Amino acid sequence: MKAIVYSCPYVPAEWIAAHGLRPSRIMPATLGATGPLAIVEGLCPYVHSFINEVMAEKCACGVIVTTLCDQMRRAFDVLTRRCDLPAFLMNVPHTWQTIAAQKMYVDELRRLGRFLIRLGGKPPSDQTLAEVMFAYDSARKSILEAGNNLSARQYAETIAAFNRDGPSNMPNKQLSIQPLNAGIPLAIIGGPMIKQDLEIFDIVEQSGGNIVLDATETSERGMCATFDRRGLRDNPLMELSRAYFGSIPDASRRPNSELYNWLKQKLADRAVRGIIFRRYLWCDTWHAELGRLKDWASLPVLDIDVGGDSRTQHIRTPNRIRAFLEMLQ
Amino acid sequence: MTDTPGQITLQQWDKRFQQLQRAGVPQPNYGGPLSRHVEDGDTRLLKLRYDNSAAALRLWNFLLTEEDRLHKARADGRKLVGTMKDLGTIPVMAYSFDNLVAFYPDGAWWIPCVMELNSGLLNIADKLGIDESFCPVRAMLGAFLTGAHFPIPELLVCSVGATCDDFSAIAQRLNGLGYAILWWEIPHRRHPEPNEEAVKLPGGFSAPKSQVEFVKSELARIKTALEDLAGEDLDEKKLSAGIKKANQVRLLLAELRQIVFTTPLCPLPALEMLIAEMLAIHFCSDQKETIAVLQALLEEVKARAKAGVGFLSADAARIFWVNPVADLQVMNLLEDCGGRICGTDYLFTHALDIIPQDLPPLEALSQMALADPMVGSSADRASRISADINTFGAEALIISRIPGASHCALEGKIIGEIVRDRLGIPVVEIEVPPLTDSIQPTLRTRLEAVVETVRERRKR
Repeated sequence: MKAIVYSCPYVPAEWIAAHGLRPSRIMPATLGATGPLAIVEGLCPYVHSFINEVMAEKCACGVIVTTLCDQMRRAFDVLTRRCDLPAFLMNVPHTWQTIAAQKMYVDELRRLGRFLIRLGGKPPSDQTLAEVMFAYDSARKSILEAGNNLSARQYAETIAAFNRDGPSNMPNKQLSIQPLNAGIPLAIIGGPMIKQDLEIFDIVEQSGGNIVLDATETSERGMCATFDRRGLRDNPLMELSRAYFGSIPDASRRPNSELYNWLKQKLADRAVRGIIFRRYLWCDTWHAELGRLKDWASLPVLDIDVGGDSRTQHIRTPNRIRAFLEMLQ
Repeated sequence: MTDTPGQITLQQWDKRFQQLQRAGVPQPNYGGPLSRHVEDGDTRLLKLRYDNSAAALRLWNFLLTEEDRLHKARADGRKLVGTMKDLGTIPVMAYSFDNLVAFYPDGAWWIPCVMELNSGLLNIADKLGIDESFCPVRAMLGAFLTGAHFPIPELLVCSVGATCDDFSAIAQRLNGLGYAILWWEIPHRRHPEPNEEAVKLPGGFSAPKSQVEFVKSELARIKTALEDLAGEDLDEKKLSAGIKKANQVRLLLAELRQIVFTTPLCPLPALEMLIAEMLAIHFCSDQKETIAVLQALLEEVKARAKAGVGFLSADAARIFWVNPVADLQVMNLLEDCGGRICGTDYLFTHALDIIPQDLPPLEALSQMALADPMVGSSADRASRISADINTFGAEALIISRIPGASHCALEGKIIGEIVRDRLGIPVVEIEVPPLTDSIQPTLRTRLEAVVETVRERRKR
């Protein structure tokens, strides 16, 4: 089945799958100077890696980029000029409290549907869409339930695999129960992760900590809400919109108060004692939240800025995490 | 025409001001010697060179007294609206009311330059976690917290969506500090799909009708907020009158740009033209006076063009400039290097295009908001730049990066590629921080290289 690649949490995988195409929310492997696009001063390393990952993509028939951040919006400009893969730019409104913004999101889904049809997809019936949504919802529930019994890294990898492959290819062994880690409970907060950086979970564990809340974009914070059964039955597209656009908290939203409401509850529920704030160099959206988070949270915050130089980072990040955990002992 | 055109220093301007006074040249109530602004801390003024006309003096004094006007407006019982990011749309609405005054807190981005980093605003931004990896507009945070550069407005309105991340993030930081902000959405302007109803926007871009309708609904929300603040309704008649006034400013600027960019001998320096163009966005808190200031400049320029006098040599390299400079001195530097400005895109070409007057006014404003070069693709912006380069006969393109600005990482390269492919002219990308003193030799070399390249190409 042809794959449609994307990275934004506001792109509903169910909508792509219901059109008969394979949604694949990608997580770039590494940062740095690999790929056709050279490193550019001021360019977010994640956006840089995303562009290169898409340009190297061999199995996809299309790419979806959203307007969630300005740099990603401009990544679309690069992809349309330098990449043969058909590309779609989806307007994801930053405001979220108005009916007009919600309607625009639904209209954009319909427009996305027309793009998918041009790529060989078929327009889904409500029943098909509801069935796909149900399958995804069940898979998400099982991942969330298994979360308590997986190591932080396994949990992140399981979600990443689900994002990439959907519910059908999830091996059951990934959800096997692991011994509980009794390390200092920490949260990790920030934008999307790359595969290479999942080692941060190991570093934390080896240093005496345990990530009990993964609030990065590629983990549970970037998952949509559970679907309402009545909504699935009555109007699945509207329910899809509610669960994604109406529920995923993010730093890019204006206002982004829902992110803090979500964090408040999760940090308390999981008895978090410290926060690792992970941000990419040149990512203004998350960077600007660092100061506010420090003012807002009554917890110590460790700022980990991620640039394109993985060698320096490889030495610096473990040392900083160790020092942070020593302080929390 | 007041005298032989020339560029003079601040000290020379003081002497000239006395001459003008003795000659009985009338001054507006905000007039006076320019050097008095240095006492307020605007020390960069000491290092700039200015046009020597009375019209230019009026322009500078008008610009540098905006804060006084805002305080006076409040004292007179008028309400202040801080409009952020949209660069030209909301002020048209606000100035349609008699008792509202709109201004851009974004304008604080020039304070670090004008006060040569002595304002302390960037230090405040640093302390709030907004460091130098952000665009210099971060100075706005400090301006809000100190309250020293503009009065805190009664209403803050900010456009988000297809905007730069820097500004959106900084505005959100401000919001997190307790400043209420009314956010409105400007979507990324896309090309209409086949069979989709399209609208031709002012300036030549097109957009789907549905996007215009969406923006209209957003502007209607802002209109309601302004009505609540003003305590009066803004009916179509009043808003149409407001658009007409805004168009008066735009028409004056269009004529000014046409003459200045195309007359063989440059009749007005780049620095004054930059300041004049900025007036289109917010009218410097006095729309009526903006018109008077621009009329005076236009008269001066027409007289100079008619007399065949101006600045620089007739063979100055004709440069199209993209993005405003964080350091005003760079406009002088370009001229020192033998270049002149013949066309600009300072991020707000949509505020220079005439707003349609044959449409329902909110529809017209929506079209104008969507015509913003920054809300569309870099390719769209490059098309507009290419067309304007042809219109004004520019021979080279300089893309001036704004340090830390989210749009500058990728768009400059794309714009450069497209313009080079279409027009075959030299393209150079430079970065201009708020103070360029330490990098001036490098900047000078790059600008001189552009000028030399242009002159060499003429010989072919």
